[in-house]
Amino acid sequence: MRCAESLRVQAYFDAEVDALTAAELERHVEHCAECRALLQDLEQVRTVLRREAGVVRAPAALRAKIMRALDQEGAADGAARPNKRASTSWRMRPFRLGMRPFWVGAFGGIGGTAIAAALAFFLVAPRLTDPLLDELVSAHVRSLMPAHLIDVVSTDKHTVKPWFAGHTDVSPVVADFAQAGYRLIGGRADYLDHQRSAVVVYQHGAHVINVFSWAGAERALPDNVTRSGYHLAFWKSGDLEYCAVSDTGWDELKGLVSLLRDLGEGDAGAGG
Amino acid sequence: MDDKRARFEAEVLPHLDAAYRFARWLSHAPGDADDLVQEAILRAFRAFDSLRGSDVKTWLMAIVRNCHYTAASQLKRRAFVPLPEENDAQDGYAMTATTPDPQDESIRRDEQRTLDRLIAGLPEEHRTVLMLREIEELDYRQISQVTNVPIGTVMSRLARSRAALKERWLQEVGGEPHAVR
Repeated sequence: MRCAESLRVQAYFDAEVDALTAAELERHVEHCAECRALLQDLEQVRTVLRREAGVVRAPAALRAKIMRALDQEGAADGAARPNKRASTSWRMRPFRLGMRPFWVGAFGGIGGTAIAAALAFFLVAPRLTDPLLDELVSAHVRSLMPAHLIDVVSTDKHTVKPWFAGHTDVSPVVADFAQAGYRLIGGRADYLDHQRSAVVVYQHGAHVINVFSWAGAERALPDNVTRSGYHLAFWKSGDLEYCAVSDTGWDELKGLVSLLRDLGEGDAGAGG
Repeated sequence: MDDKRARFEAEVLPHLDAAYRFARWLSHAPGDADDLVQEAILRAFRAFDSLRGSDVKTWLMAIVRNCHYTAASQLKRRAFVPLPEENDAQDGYAMTATTPDPQDESIRRDEQRTLDRLIAGLPEEHRTVLMLREIEELDYRQISQVTNVPIGTVMSRLARSRAALKERWLQEVGGEPHAVR
């Protein structure tokens, strides 16, 4: 650590230097044993830290407490709006998040935004008030409480899939994607959308991903949304509807969704 | 108002776990971390309308830090992280308890506990910089904003904390970390 370049080598390791400097430092490291050792040390510390120390997550109880505090905060801010907040907020959010940039881009500056917004609101609102979203988030949060996550503990799809046959109304796609970072850790039965749905539980890093599945109905699925800090990704496969819920990033969640969708193409169907 | 809450939940709450981890590195007991995070989230909510730009995580982390120092200066106490106790093992590691191999798991727990203790032993200003970089993956500029020190200081603290952790880890575990996974 006494080489004069050590801080710059560290910056190189942290991807904080431009390409020219990077090339210069790579040449330096070739000739400097001290900096070569430094790079190895940095890598080792990073590996250990990321593997062992990243697993701490906010407890579910704290999350719930914060949501209640925000409720109070909102109530204190607003005038008398009895019972209106909850129903309105769900309707507004996906519209605001999902539609607004598009409409603003299309109509911005010509006064069409309000009309477009109103239109979008009526087009989108009916299926986004779906109580299904609340059910899914509640079921996910409930599953994270101690001893609620898994009914059948297994990393083997040949154990998990048959278990569903006796305990739920559906037979979803089950597979282990440990190679891709999504480890199958078990299954659970849950009551959802008025039926006994199947939940396949995956672990991705420190995060749990619940993949809910239930027999589809004659209606459009909700769009992908974020609620209470959890992402919900929906898709259909065969006769079944699926929703993956987690607090991983969208990219990680969609990675699992696309793996499951690919499998579902070949293995579609309920009751199998 | 409803819209504000909805946007807040979608943009800020995904960073709740990061804020909680940061609070634990800053504050001296898990209970304190809970209070600190809740205070920070409420403050963030009140200030949400004035948030400009897209770097929500850095913004939230800076609020956590400010809340911590406000509380710390009020109580005139030195912040430190407790050494993890045997009984604390469940706390925060609930997720890994679902893995199927109990033997690997118990070795892993030991290493986690050792590492937690080593991290806790670092000076606070070193510990926070290190964890913001390695766990939260903030870049130098973001760390500088969150911790309110110049980038040069971020770099030297990073270098010192990494070297110290490496040194202590070698002393404790004696060589390569046990290969799990």
